[in-house]
Amino acid sequence: MAKLFERRLTPSDSPIAIFATTAAAFLTAMLVTAFLFLSYGASPFQAYFALFHEPFGTLRGFGYSLVRTSPLALIALGTIVSWRSGFSYLGFEGCFVIGASATAWLALLTAPGARIGPIPFFLFLPLAIFVGFVAAGLWAGLVGFVRARLGGNEVLISLMSNYVAIFILQYLVSGPMRAPGSLPETRILPRATWLPFILPGTRAHAGILIAIAAAALVWMLLEKMPLGYELIVTGFNAAAARYAGIDVGRRIMLAAFFAGGLGGLAGMVEELGSQHRLMDGINGGVGFVGIVVALLARLNPVAVIPTALLYGGMSVGADAMQRRASIPSSITFILQSLAVLLVLAFDALRYYKINFSVFSRGAPPTATEEASK
Amino acid sequence: MKHTLEMRNIVKRFPGVLANNNVNLTIQAGEIHALLGENGAGKSTLMQILYGFHSMDSGEILIDGETVRLGSPKDAIALGIGMVHQEFMLVRRFSVVENTVLGLREGNGPLLDLRRASEKLKDLSNRHGLALDPAAEVGLLPIGVQQRVEILKLLYRDARLLILDEPTAVLTPREKDQLFGVLRKLREDGRSVVLVTHKLAEIMEIADRVTVMRDGQVVATREIGSTNGQELTRLMVGREVNLRADKSAQKPGAAILQVEELRVRDETGHEKVRGLNLEVHAGEILGIAGVDGNGQSELAEAVMHLREIKSGRVILKGADVTRLSVALHRTLGISYVPADRRHVGSVTEMSVADNAILGLQRKYRRGIFRGIREARESARGLVARFGIRTGGIDFAAGKLSGGNLQKLILGREIMRGSAALVVEHPTRGLDVGAVEAVWGELLRARQEGKAILLISAELEELLNLADRIAVMFEGRIMGVVDAAGASVEEIGLMMAGITAPGAAAAGLGNKEAHRGETL
Ligand SMILES: Nc1ncnc2c1ncn2[C@@H]1O[C@H](COP(=O)(O)OP(=O)(O)OP(=O)(O)O)[C@@H](O)[C@H]1O
Ligand SMILES: [Mg+2]
Repeated sequence: MAKLFERRLTPSDSPIAIFATTAAAFLTAMLVTAFLFLSYGASPFQAYFALFHEPFGTLRGFGYSLVRTSPLALIALGTIVSWRSGFSYLGFEGCFVIGASATAWLALLTAPGARIGPIPFFLFLPLAIFVGFVAAGLWAGLVGFVRARLGGNEVLISLMSNYVAIFILQYLVSGPMRAPGSLPETRILPRATWLPFILPGTRAHAGILIAIAAAALVWMLLEKMPLGYELIVTGFNAAAARYAGIDVGRRIMLAAFFAGGLGGLAGMVEELGSQHRLMDGINGGVGFVGIVVALLARLNPVAVIPTALLYGGMSVGADAMQRRASIPSSITFILQSLAVLLVLAFDALRYYKINFSVFSRGAPPTATEEASK
Repeated sequence: MKHTLEMRNIVKRFPGVLANNNVNLTIQAGEIHALLGENGAGKSTLMQILYGFHSMDSGEILIDGETVRLGSPKDAIALGIGMVHQEFMLVRRFSVVENTVLGLREGNGPLLDLRRASEKLKDLSNRHGLALDPAAEVGLLPIGVQQRVEILKLLYRDARLLILDEPTAVLTPREKDQLFGVLRKLREDGRSVVLVTHKLAEIMEIADRVTVMRDGQVVATREIGSTNGQELTRLMVGREVNLRADKSAQKPGAAILQVEELRVRDETGHEKVRGLNLEVHAGEILGIAGVDGNGQSELAEAVMHLREIKSGRVILKGADVTRLSVALHRTLGISYVPADRRHVGSVTEMSVADNAILGLQRKYRRGIFRGIREARESARGLVARFGIRTGGIDFAAGKLSGGNLQKLILGREIMRGSAALVVEHPTRGLDVGAVEAVWGELLRARQEGKAILLISAELEELLNLADRIAVMFEGRIMGVVDAAGASVEEIGLMMAGITAPGAAAAGLGNKEAHRGETL
């Protein structure tokens, strides 16, 4: 009677099963991509070495990986807060832009001779965090309001709001905030407002510390605080939440505010840590890739930093690979997309378990072992 | 299946639970076989194995002496085995006939021949006495009729063995009688029925044989003629259960919960509660009797302000709480056990421990953090006091058997210590032992001076627990009777909207009723 693979009624949610299916998905994605490398006449082993050596084997590359990691992680955290609260927000590209614009505006105000004038960094930083968070938080909170009070569909509205935010940015850098010169961009931000570099000899900046702190706070919110409990109940089952006396509408608006705020911090970090000036196109899709990172991390805040590092590192490695082995970096994009698709698809594997007893013929049939898949 | 179906030595293990332990079960052609057992005894699991929904760890299933493989429901259907689940699996936006042919290939090539399917369906429904309009949209049909759709779906696939998992839990008495009529016809037809139920009276009424399960094992199989309810209970629980609540005489105290001229609409805008008045006193259980769908749920939800109130007032301990938030209702002292335990009363994805503090999340805290240790402590206390069978407090609540989930919710609401308690169908789907426990807890709460509003479709329950019974019909109270002197006939008449002759003028039940009292 016993089959090797047996179907379960509900997926196994043990950590081992989740880890095993995720790892299997990654390995499969790498295997498939290996054939693509072959078609370029490159050895997959060398290609993969190049892909991972640069971001994780060299200090400079690692610094770049950290630079890419911070905004990705912050957006992934925003995704986690909103999605686990049952608010399917997709407007992080817009939040990123709004956060970046708000902090750039603040930073420019502190230039010598500007309205505020130079202020010490330890005062500026909390102010920048506040401004970036609140501006983008309100931006996303607006969508939360529409959903909670007017019953609108947050998926469509938040997607569209991305375009609005980008137009606002384009207006700002070609109008009120434009620096004299030919390009639509602002002046370079005052040196005193830059995030400090943390690894000598690299571009790595303190943004990663902000991202790590945010991950810890989000974890604390969701796991350790009554508010987080309420958000999660709201996300699972709004009827039960209402029954429990939770104001579902307010919780959704709050989740939207937090999510947007985290997206805004991503923009702030990128702006003060790496770009140092506001210009059109700074977003470059990070608002969507961050969502992908959250999915890969299975909406678990603890897994966000490593996942974002892996993802950010791979894009750094891809550039290096293109430079060195002239393999198009888009192959890495294929690898990344494939990994995401397979991680999601391989969830189905958790519906199966392996009966190891099949291998040992004489074993009593009840001795089935809970296997990872 | 043609003649007999046999399940031999079935073993099924879930992580930490031995759900079926060497179960043997034989079902003959043309019999109605009842399956009885405590909550969590493994009935649903056994039936889901038979339906190919779960795989078994070991054992054999034979039809007419030949081993068959049941890898999926498809295999089961091909062998003539069909199942109606506790929660129906219908597409609400589809018509009856669309639901029926779902998953089948009807018609020529890729095109669906719904006309022919409708014909066949009409034919079937006439033959089996299941009146039904094939074109009706399923979501708009009453529960009893939806169940008919489920049964017709099986007959359409020519099922020879129909498994019904607690089919009567959601039915009104009349719908139940109709269902039993259908089952008898199926039996004459030579088909077999497995009926999973907790209601002994129903088993005695319709079954030919009954198998009793306990802790995953079969304790006995009996011919109905050679057994009785008492023996079945003993077999099932392992002791005598005397389902007669000993209600101590007790003088009700001050009015705790009052409802005045309440009017409430449902989602579609129909007025479901139409100018209702009632009053529940401390240390009193006020029962609300009535056929499901006469506004009882809307009443309960409106009392908690989970539903918009059109007009009228809800008064708790003298204070008007009509339009206060649900959270304030809870803090001011009303608890509520909703009818839908899986979609409202609990969050099935979360653990038992997390469900034990649903609605209390702001109470268990330490500074800005959750008081997780205290919450877990109280969850453990809840599990122990109410005898909840669970694989631990970190077990997902959705994996508890129905009865145990109910105990979790009821226990949580009682342990809050609120002055008023609104309870909807507290023992629906519970085994006798659990019913006894729940009744005991409700009476204990009454003794502690709580004011309890008990909504139930079971007259038996109301007569045993309530001090007074108010009968609800089409959104109004038809009359109120003292439970002590109440007659079932009189209540039955009022449930059908006919006021008892003796009290027609006052609209207030029989002579023992508290005449003149504002109710
Ligand atoms: N998917 C599952 N995963 C883990 N345990 C399960 C699962 N389904 C059921 N169980 C456990 O198996 C046991 C038997 O459950 P089952 O649903 O068969 O009981 P039941 O007899 O139908 O009870 P009830 O009368 O309450 O419906 C219970 O202890 C239950 O917690
Ligand atoms: Mg069951």
